[in-house]
Amino acid sequence: MSTLATRPIQDYTAKDYKSELKPIWCPGCGDFGVVQAIYRALSNIGRPPHEIAFISGIGCSSRIPGYTTAYGFNTVHGRALPIAQGIKLANPDLLVLGAGGDGDGFSIGGGHVAHAIRRNIDITYIVMDNQIYGLTKGQLSPTSRRGLTSVSSTHGSMEAPVNPLAYVLGYGAEFVAQGTPADMSGLAQIIEEGIRHPGFAFINVQSPCVTYGMEDQQLKAQKASMQTLASINHDPSNILAAMDLAHQYGEKLYTGVFYKKPTPSPTFEGQARARHEALQAGSRPRAAVLDLFKLKK
Amino acid sequence: MNSDLVIGMAGSGGDGIVAAGESLLTAAAIEGYHGVLTKSFGPQIRGGESSFRLRLSTSKVLNTGGTLDIAVALSWDDFLRFGGELPIGGDTTVIYDSNSKVPTDKIPLVGVKPAEVLMVPIEQMARDTGGSDRSKNTVVLGLMAGWLGVGKAPMEAGIKKRLAKKEADVIEKAVKAFYAGLEYAEAHPLSTDRKMSPPAKPTAKFVVDGNDLCAAAAIVAGCDFFSGYPITPSTEIMQFLGREIWKYGGTMLQAEDEIAGIGAVVGASFAGKKAMTATSGPGMSLKTEMLGLASIAELPLVCVNVQRGGPSTGIPTKAEQSDLFQAVFSAHGDVIRPVLAPISAEDMYGVTIEAFNMAEQYQTPVIVLSDQEVGQRKETAEPIDASTTEIVNRRKPSEQELEKYVRFRFTESGISPISHPGMKGGNYLASGIEHNESGAPTANGEMHARMNEKRLNKFNPLRSRKDLFVIQGPADAPIALISWGSVAGVCIEAVEIARRQGMNVKLLVPKLLYPVSEAIYADFFMSVKRGLVVEQNHQAQLFRLLRMFVDVPRGIETLAKSGSNPITPLEVVDRLRRITLALQQGKDREPAEV
Repeated sequence: MSTLATRPIQDYTAKDYKSELKPIWCPGCGDFGVVQAIYRALSNIGRPPHEIAFISGIGCSSRIPGYTTAYGFNTVHGRALPIAQGIKLANPDLLVLGAGGDGDGFSIGGGHVAHAIRRNIDITYIVMDNQIYGLTKGQLSPTSRRGLTSVSSTHGSMEAPVNPLAYVLGYGAEFVAQGTPADMSGLAQIIEEGIRHPGFAFINVQSPCVTYGMEDQQLKAQKASMQTLASINHDPSNILAAMDLAHQYGEKLYTGVFYKKPTPSPTFEGQARARHEALQAGSRPRAAVLDLFKLKK
Repeated sequence: MNSDLVIGMAGSGGDGIVAAGESLLTAAAIEGYHGVLTKSFGPQIRGGESSFRLRLSTSKVLNTGGTLDIAVALSWDDFLRFGGELPIGGDTTVIYDSNSKVPTDKIPLVGVKPAEVLMVPIEQMARDTGGSDRSKNTVVLGLMAGWLGVGKAPMEAGIKKRLAKKEADVIEKAVKAFYAGLEYAEAHPLSTDRKMSPPAKPTAKFVVDGNDLCAAAAIVAGCDFFSGYPITPSTEIMQFLGREIWKYGGTMLQAEDEIAGIGAVVGASFAGKKAMTATSGPGMSLKTEMLGLASIAELPLVCVNVQRGGPSTGIPTKAEQSDLFQAVFSAHGDVIRPVLAPISAEDMYGVTIEAFNMAEQYQTPVIVLSDQEVGQRKETAEPIDASTTEIVNRRKPSEQELEKYVRFRFTESGISPISHPGMKGGNYLASGIEHNESGAPTANGEMHARMNEKRLNKFNPLRSRKDLFVIQGPADAPIALISWGSVAGVCIEAVEIARRQGMNVKLLVPKLLYPVSEAIYADFFMSVKRGLVVEQNHQAQLFRLLRMFVDVPRGIETLAKSGSNPITPLEVVDRLRRITLALQQGKDREPAEV
């Protein structure tokens, strides 16, 4: 497993992960809290910024890599995960983070989530779920609730929202958690635990949109309604209980780890490393591949 | 004796037609002959009709020729389904299985009287020796060894090797079937001589196909990562790398879709590795957005498009050259992506290496426009010496440059040193968003204009790469022949024939299709009054692309045909003859009579 990802190399503080770029987010945006939580989680882990690759898609939240000192890649809409997987497979020693909004992860890029999960590539994927499209100014998102009126649903949404937690549990994710910037230190802990999990980790963050979001989603309302999974004695090794709780997405705001597989499955890159060893990769010159075209009498 | 023969054979999917073609090519290559083998199938997943076309020659050939010299029909129904792909003419020797009970004067050919028609008890010989009709293809191999005088010993050895794991009597029966055909041929000599002359050099050749050789060249070039999605006719590239790349420390990821395939490649390149994806037309359409991302983020990658008939699903199993416009113009935004096209399967080695080198040198996606013919045909090739292959790696920042690293620094060449995650001090933000020199997002119009200038001007040196063109014939010739991709192989032969017949023709084949090298064309066109651009697409895409960038002489016309319709050397020569006549009559511009 990725030992480097968990080994403190030297002491880093949250400030070491903060870049000089000024966020474009609206004052009061939930994403400010998310990036703070990420700085804190990364400083607890202690990997130097140049060994971290932080990949996002498109959307307000996808600007986040630029606000860190890691190697960042603000890619195209919905494709953070395929690119992040390519990075991790090309260099498994890197700590790889993925991030994006609910539109990025569950609408335009929804097809990639299942596959990142079943490959179990060691990436921590943070979705900032605000149930609205903020960057394009207030259209329906895949997690918008039924009936929501917006600039693209004048007469109300006629679609049921995606349930990100139940989706990823159904896909077989081995680490599934939810947090909110309303509880920044709780969120930092969850992100740190996700990074330390050896395999794909999914973290849904209820990160409210102050400009286009609804009243009952704002930080103040979240603080009043949120409940930690620890406080209800949830056992994160119990997949059925996790699924049951995940199904209350949209009704109850649970924070903490829904599911963490007690014995994680092998990662893709771990298996790749074993294959390379078994095949004695690197022991032959590259030109040897041309021998395959020689004819044998 | 013959120096060049074209053999076509068809039957049903279970007859082992393709295996027979490959055995014959391999045996001939071992003896030092040159050859090109194409296969064609009906649309069925299994079974259905199946055929091959094999051209054997004593010297290098780059196309499968025209009318068949020898046609073998195991079943007339299956044979006739291939239409113009297996043309029979007045000089063809036609061989068919007597199980059809069609008399030799009643064969189902309209308007053509072949030189010779033989009804051969192929199935009967297979049953008598091999015990079932499954040995029909082996009987045919024996017939060919007898009538052509090619490949007897290597084919017998090949049969034994292929069946090495089977029981002794299975091998014995197969060898008997082979000898039954051979002895039949010796007892029934053809009225037209079909014996091959000895090869120019009796040294064994490689047998390659474009897809496998592309994959192997990628490994030699230093490719450590491949991700793609199965799509005909490019899948063999992924399959080859799925077997081989691991042995060299690389990784192959079969992605969930075409977008994820190139996405993972963009990621691997960002992480510092050489990476490639491969696809065909429909996949290319899906990959376009990622190509734009790699262009603006200035990340090297190679994207191979093994073209097939389009649009949409089109004709997945047959070649066409109709994706040139897409390769050149598919992106939104002001952007150049180099486009390279191999002219043969053998050429795929050099073109793939060049694509990686160019991608690394210019920090750009490079498109390789192969096609089904180049990708899937088998041909003989000279052994490749990789020790002379030049490999280029991306320019990494020096220690000094890392002290105050600026990823997209404006330089004279437009190329800025590129770091990758793991490199201390090289941290930067890559993005699809327009950015300033340090990588920070910007919406400033002046910065955007400067960045466009950097990203476009960096390709200027490519425009003088004359080594990426095949130019043959006298510099002052008034007639030009231009072609690209697999069809160039037809034109290279056509220009030789035309010159032997006294036509003053010169040839130009661009392997670098884009950016268009204006000066090279301008120089070539100096002496040209008339000419022909030959390509396998309906719109004459190369011709129109050239007209956009170059002063193409008014007397240049086109021979452009949709995919899967073969273009033969003689057809090109015929057009050149009409063009020559028109020029002799003093006509510079009027279209030559067709």
